[in-house]
Amino acid sequence: MPEPNIKDELQKMEGEYEPLLPVEYKLIWYTLGSGIVLLVALVLLSRLFV
Amino acid sequence: MATAIEPPGTEHIVPIAATPPPHPGMSEDWLAVWMGLFVFILSFGVMFHADLLGWAVTTSVWTVPAKALAPASAVYAKLSPLVSLLATYVFLLALVLIGAKALRANIARFAQGFTVVFAVSYACWWLGSWAYIAATPDKRHALGIGWSLNLTTESGFIIALLAGLVVGNFLPGVSRALKEALRPELYIKTAIVILGGYLGITALSQQQLASKMFFQGLCAIVCAYLIFWPVVYYVARRWFGFSREWAVPLASGISICGVSAAIATGSAIKARPIVPIMVSSLVVIFAVVELLILPFAAQHYLYSQPLVAGAWMGLAVKTDGAAVASGAIADSLIHVKAMAAGLYYQAGWTLGVATTVKVFIDIFIGVWAFILAWVWSAKIEHREGEVHAGQIWQRFPKFILGYVATFLIVIAIGVMLPHMMPQVKAAMGQANIFRAIFFVMTFFAIGAVTNFRKLWQEGIAKLAAVYVLCLFGYIIWVGLLISWLFFHGILPPAVKG
Repeated sequence: MPEPNIKDELQKMEGEYEPLLPVEYKLIWYTLGSGIVLLVALVLLSRLFV
Repeated sequence: MATAIEPPGTEHIVPIAATPPPHPGMSEDWLAVWMGLFVFILSFGVMFHADLLGWAVTTSVWTVPAKALAPASAVYAKLSPLVSLLATYVFLLALVLIGAKALRANIARFAQGFTVVFAVSYACWWLGSWAYIAATPDKRHALGIGWSLNLTTESGFIIALLAGLVVGNFLPGVSRALKEALRPELYIKTAIVILGGYLGITALSQQQLASKMFFQGLCAIVCAYLIFWPVVYYVARRWFGFSREWAVPLASGISICGVSAAIATGSAIKARPIVPIMVSSLVVIFAVVELLILPFAAQHYLYSQPLVAGAWMGLAVKTDGAAVASGAIADSLIHVKAMAAGLYYQAGWTLGVATTVKVFIDIFIGVWAFILAWVWSAKIEHREGEVHAGQIWQRFPKFILGYVATFLIVIAIGVMLPHMMPQVKAAMGQANIFRAIFFVMTFFAIGAVTNFRKLWQEGIAKLAAVYVLCLFGYIIWVGLLISWLFFHGILPPAVKG
């Protein structure tokens, strides 16, 4: 397989800037929020029961 | 000029949209399952008075080179060490060549490459067992030496990695010639399947610790997918302006499990295959950097908390090979430093925790790829009906089935036939010899496929900047914090000093 030119690839990407969509914000904040909640729950469970 | 070596683990992952080859071979994942299970089953011969693997070569700490090697079992004590070594090579060559046929690899090139990989790797292992490098303080007197580097026989792993890096970075012709057999993912996954049985023994001996270990595995899933991924994705998109096509594989490569996650999630959002492959090159390079730094940091700062160190390796080091390898190195280094401080822990727990954490993270790559495929299909690109649950299985890392099987078989024997445990321990001891050989070959292969010159490639700086910022500024520290929250104060069983 020929070695791709990463510089060209990234320049092409910069020429077509994609702003963050509301659904991406949702994905980011929902996953992070649920991660923190679950992590706290697991730490508590771990300390109390395991 | 860059070598034509592709990142490990990329050979058999085909994006959904791509046309599959007309006669695809077996995947490396399935091959690792069968090879690992084959060694595991043969090792059980000792339970039936048939020592089927006792001829395998073992290496002990040496001061006289000729005395370094010996057959594993006393049954084969009269066997010459060189014959034992040759038998081990022939057995493994036969095993991997059958595998190479199943992979539809070039058999002749595989045989040549494997011969070199085995020879160099074992030479590194042998060199790393030299008493002046490997001996721990409590063994120096018996070995008749006044000093040593205290690195244990696992220093052979580091030597193999360095040898591989020399090949990968300074001898591109040799690297290309060995390409067919430079398969770190195949070697480490086979080792992990074998390791499952060994961890089964460990779990049986300390059930409470083992349950804690598996609980940490659950936490690792939350951490990698829900805490690492969104932050890295945000940084890549918002701060560095990467497109979705680049940000998804990048976030997955940095947060989850390197190469396979980058490729699975990249194809889930229908990124061009070249994007995750480029990201994977970077993943491999930084995994090696982590492998060379983090185990030594863990030895220095976490020698009194070996389980924290193990979880940290599993969470912070990307790619299966580098993560489990880091766990093995950290295990040995911590063992030595703890002994010097008067703390005598049972060895193997740091490696056990690192492996468990990594395996748990791997299990959910398919699920995460499915979720992203659904979000992209339904919410971003508004393509309905293109995502189906079968894709979860398609992307499930199959070698985990082998790991779970060996683990559960040992647990089942331990529970149902407790009087057989001494034989099972002996069997796992023999299987472990091959696990160690697959480990050392993994280290060499990781080095040989790592091309640091890619960092000098024009344009890579922006990609590397995201990686450096997220890995060294966020993931390593959050991974350490979470490992600490779960494991601080929990110690492996003490052993007699």
